[in-house]
Amino acid sequence: MEARTCPEASVRRLTGANCACYRTSPVSEFDLEFRNVTKTFGDVRAVDDATFQVRRGEFLSLLGPSGCGKTTSLRMIAGFDRPTSGEIFLDGQPVGATPPYRRNVNTVFQHYALFPHKTVVDNVAFGLRMKRQPRSHIAERVERMLALVELPGVGRRFPHQLSGGQQQRVALARALINEPTVLLLDEPLGALDLKVRRRMQQELKRIHREVGVTFVYVTHDQEEALTMSDRIAVMNHGRIEQLDTPAGIYERPATRFVAGFIGLTNLLRGVVEARNDRDVVVRIAGGARLRAETIDGAAAGAEVDVAIRPEKIRMTAVRPAAADNCLEGQVASFVYQGAATEYQIALANAQEVRVIVQNVGETWRAAVVPVGTPVYLCWSRGAGLILSDAAGAQPREPGDDDEAPAAERVAWR
Amino acid sequence: MAIEGATARPAVAASASRSVRQDVLALLNRWGWVKVLLFLVPACLLLMLYLVIPIVMLIVMSFYRSTLFGVVPDFSWNNYLHFLRNPMFPNLLLRSIRLAVTVTAISLLVSYPFAYFLARGTRRFRTTLLILVMVPFWTSYLIRTMSWLPILGIKGLVNYSLMTLQLVESPVEAFLFNQFSVVLTLIHIYLPYMVVPIYLSLDRLDGRLLEAASDLGATPLRTFWHVTLPLSLPGVVGGIVMVFIAAFGAYVTPKLLGGSSGIMFGNVLADQYSGTFNWPFGAVLALIMMSVVLVLLVVASRFARLDAVFGARA
Repeated sequence: MEARTCPEASVRRLTGANCACYRTSPVSEFDLEFRNVTKTFGDVRAVDDATFQVRRGEFLSLLGPSGCGKTTSLRMIAGFDRPTSGEIFLDGQPVGATPPYRRNVNTVFQHYALFPHKTVVDNVAFGLRMKRQPRSHIAERVERMLALVELPGVGRRFPHQLSGGQQQRVALARALINEPTVLLLDEPLGALDLKVRRRMQQELKRIHREVGVTFVYVTHDQEEALTMSDRIAVMNHGRIEQLDTPAGIYERPATRFVAGFIGLTNLLRGVVEARNDRDVVVRIAGGARLRAETIDGAAAGAEVDVAIRPEKIRMTAVRPAAADNCLEGQVASFVYQGAATEYQIALANAQEVRVIVQNVGETWRAAVVPVGTPVYLCWSRGAGLILSDAAGAQPREPGDDDEAPAAERVAWR
Repeated sequence: MAIEGATARPAVAASASRSVRQDVLALLNRWGWVKVLLFLVPACLLLMLYLVIPIVMLIVMSFYRSTLFGVVPDFSWNNYLHFLRNPMFPNLLLRSIRLAVTVTAISLLVSYPFAYFLARGTRRFRTTLLILVMVPFWTSYLIRTMSWLPILGIKGLVNYSLMTLQLVESPVEAFLFNQFSVVLTLIHIYLPYMVVPIYLSLDRLDGRLLEAASDLGATPLRTFWHVTLPLSLPGVVGGIVMVFIAAFGAYVTPKLLGGSSGIMFGNVLADQYSGTFNWPFGAVLALIMMSVVLVLLVVASRFARLDAVFGARA
């Protein structure tokens, strides 16, 4: 093969027998980039002005409830849908109207979409056959892929002769054999039962480490997203509410929606009474004062929510010395979960707060606090989080206030 | 004793309950079978009456002898030899197969793109188009055949148009009473048998498979070749089988529109029963015809499961 000369500001990268020119401009450190991508179906904004970058080799999850635009985003990357406005970049290049079969992107479909009339080998080999690779090369690669997904010996079988988990592995092998720039996974584990799903989560992580391909993973399962991703984009109503690491998403949710969607959160509504560079003091209904770290946009007099995770609350029977960040209440109900007990505490202002207490006592006796016991709930200044209407990555519109109860409902599910 | 009794009683009870359960199960089983039989009896009776008995009679009859005074029971191979000795019959058989193949092939070429458009191309006109396909079904076969006379005849629509446009000087007679008119009419009549099964198999095709193929690098043409076509094969085979059988056995259309060159095997067969009253020879012709169809079904079953073709399996 004659050596290709590449234009300036690009580099030749050898991939197998092929050589290609890649741009070395700064954008190409990202395998995938959305710039102000919007997709509308009629009046519905399925994806609303999404902008983000995915680094090479990253595992990014798109997380959100059904209808939040995550699958539409995936379909636009694959090329099945085109953005109404904005542009998607793959490997630094705008994809424009490139049809799916010319994009170096492959998809693992939600219900696998294996070809029912082809054997496992023929399914996996499909991509390479479409590229007209030599026969021996295909056979060798198929074998390697089936070994990678730990499915040796089923090559002659047809998809309907395999279990759901096995079909999932075949779909994965079929998509990975093309060595895509980005691998798209559309709720790939949704149809599997819990036990198989857990195993496949670990398998997917292992495969991601081994092949080093960029994964974009769509899911509505927060636990899946938290455990598997390098970063998570939480989506709602077509907008990206927050894009951060799993810990960042969980510990510092940027919006009420994120706080409510990921894990359990108590939202306590109140008015900012005072603020300085360090602290914000919020007075909630009933008169109690809560102290939290200062954020932008929480001016004095503003209505805000204080978000506090149930496991970060300390529950004590005696009144603590400092009155700030402490609430008085009564045990309304509890659910004993073995390693932990989840309490529902009725506050003096009739609001209910959920508290998770680890059962770490040294004897078996002190496992639960009975219903009706008066208790004090306290947390440190750094544990509570101010969620202001103006705070977060996305400016919120005035009409969005009615969303807070909805988020709370999700949290209490 | 007491200990024995104490241990024995539960055992007895258990075995008793087990035997009762077995009895119930057996009864259910038996009643299940009765129910199955009850469901099958009408169909079995019909099959016996209209299929098994007539075929047995045909086979028996094919060995009889036809005399001036009627059919005489016999066991002779003469009827079969008569078929083989007279080249007219095998030739006619071949011509009928050729005509049926032509009708089937052209129907397929016309139907597949149409069915594809119906199933995957359009949503707005789907129902309308499907109804238009089915409408001829609601008209008498004879009318559908005869309707070609005023179209293709000497004073028919086509000739009138050609004359008016001064493309020809005298009416073209080549349109009617030959193989052309037979093939044309049979295609017209049996086209729905081809369109509907292909449409159904294409309609059932999971669109996500097409997306998957495209995703894996297949151009639209190759997606069609590797995914759409193989998965619609049951419909194609079903259409081929139905149109071929119907066209191969046609005798009304060739009789009305075939003239002398358009005569088909079915006409000769019918003549044995209604014209020359040589029923034993008619039985031979009928059995030969059935064997051809059986061969076709065997070949078809190599390409697609027949239970899938006829919709027993999704």
